Amino acid sequence: MRQWTVMYRKEWLELLRTYKLLWVPLAFVLLSAMQPVSTYFLPDILAHAGNLPEGAVISIPVPTAEEVMAQTLQQLNVFGLLILALSSMNVISAERTGGMTAMILVKPVSFRGFVASKWAAQLTLVTIAFAGGFGAAYYYTSVLFRTPDWHRSLIAIALYWLWLVLAGALTLAFSALLRSGAAAAVCSLALLAALSVTAGLLPDALSASPGMLPKLASAQFLDPAAGKFWPVTVSTLGVLAAAMETAAFALRKRPTLLSS
Amino acid sequence: MSIAPKQAKPADARTSTEPQEAFVRFRGVSKSFGALQSLRQIDLALYEGRCAALLGPNGAGKTTLIRIVTGLLAPTSGSVRFQGLAPGADPRALIGYLPQHPAFYGWMSGSEFVRYAGRLCGLSKREAAARGTELLERVGLGAAAGKRRIGGYSGGMKQRLGLAQALMHRPKLLVLDEPVSALDPVGRRDVMDLLRELKQETTILFSTHVLHDAEELCDDVILLQEGGISISGAIGDIRGLHRTPALTLEVEDNRPARMQLGEWLSGLSHPSIASAALLPGEYAVKLQVRDADEARIYVLRQVLERGLPLAKLEIGHASLEDIFLKAVDAP
Repeated sequence: MRQWTVMYRKEWLELLRTYKLLWVPLAFVLLSAMQPVSTYFLPDILAHAGNLPEGAVISIPVPTAEEVMAQTLQQLNVFGLLILALSSMNVISAERTGGMTAMILVKPVSFRGFVASKWAAQLTLVTIAFAGGFGAAYYYTSVLFRTPDWHRSLIAIALYWLWLVLAGALTLAFSALLRSGAAAAVCSLALLAALSVTAGLLPDALSASPGMLPKLASAQFLDPAAGKFWPVTVSTLGVLAAAMETAAFALRKRPTLLSS
Repeated sequence: MSIAPKQAKPADARTSTEPQEAFVRFRGVSKSFGALQSLRQIDLALYEGRCAALLGPNGAGKTTLIRIVTGLLAPTSGSVRFQGLAPGADPRALIGYLPQHPAFYGWMSGSEFVRYAGRLCGLSKREAAARGTELLERVGLGAAAGKRRIGGYSGGMKQRLGLAQALMHRPKLLVLDEPVSALDPVGRRDVMDLLRELKQETTILFSTHVLHDAEELCDDVILLQEGGISISGAIGDIRGLHRTPALTLEVEDNRPARMQLGEWLSGLSHPSIASAALLPGEYAVKLQVRDADEARIYVLRQVLERGLPLAKLEIGHASLEDIFLKAVDAP
């Protein structure tokens, strides 16, 4: 445990010193705040865009606060996941191809602990970034529209946070399985897309698939009678554990990928 | 004399004079990467407190062998056993390892990295700080360099830092992959001196191309060639086995000296000397001798009598380089 704490503190220091702790949350805040703000000013933006024939009347129904929050989550589902994958794709692969693991993993270090420390650091980053982003969206929605129901927001936060955590963990696992960080990002994004598309197509058959998470999170705002989320939570935790175990296994099998 | 492809004198044979168990023992270790066989059937023993040099041309499998010792690579077949460890037990706590190209986190400072390495090996915060400062000093990275970010280090400084981090937990076996090849002459000298001190404290296995370094430092030599061991044993034994009954005499490289040497050669005849051959440049001659002692006295006398402007006289000594080249050239 003491050794694990040392590794986690190293990861934390790395987040700080490489400014990841700054730019990832900043990107999340900007992305999330943009949605309520741009929705609110959409009629004005369109009116100023020109090209409209004289006398054209645009009528856009004012969305509810809940709808705005749900849109924010959908926005995050594209760019948020991309940022997350890009920021963590090299977490293991770069150390392994660069030769750092050749020095760290010849010490009496637990492979699971090594992966867990990286994952925990990522969890910290995701939590901070998402808290910032969701907070910003919630604030602007309350100011510009109406305060969304906090109880449903809380459940949505939890579900969506779990989805982001899963995205990070999958990227980490691919980063341990593959030599190239870019390939890890692509694979994890593709897998996440496949999960959410299949869950969207077959919501009944795949009601316990982790791909239901973003859908369920948005549904907290849109459809008060949204399905149960416990099966999804359990299956996601299972996938998380499997991803960590896979990463640890890959590292134990080949601690370094240096060619020379 | 030709060098037998088999071990000149197996390192194991020394157990008779030194009744100690091998600290690390390789049994039939092979490693293939796909179709490429990098190591074949390596049997090897490293003894506690001795310093072994791993030699061999590029691509002979030195780095592969070193990675197998450290556990970074698993052998395809065969086993590596550490003294006092059950088979399959994790030997990593015993080993300090310096890779050929040590890579660090550029955002860490040197002293942070050694402390991190120490703490990973189970040292307490205070121990790690004290030992880190001591080792940085010892490898020639002072407090000022230790505070700098590693991103700004030169290759030589990284090599020194790599050595310091490998020593943090006082490993019983120090494994170094080309520890001095990236260093300038001063750095090389420093590190060699440091290794000579460390030899007193721990068992060392290091690989190198620089035969002179091996000769200077090590007790045992392992010569790898195309994935197999072609020569291994104590350096003295190997020298003895490969001693050539030859004598090389070199005079100053100028015209009168060369003529004098030529004259002497043309009239040379002594029972202890079998043959003589002028070497390229015509200022040196290699004599094959029947009796080294007798030939030495005779040649020295001749040098004095004829006033040959002697520059160098070498007698019956096969350097590691000769042995290495012979073994590598042998088909």
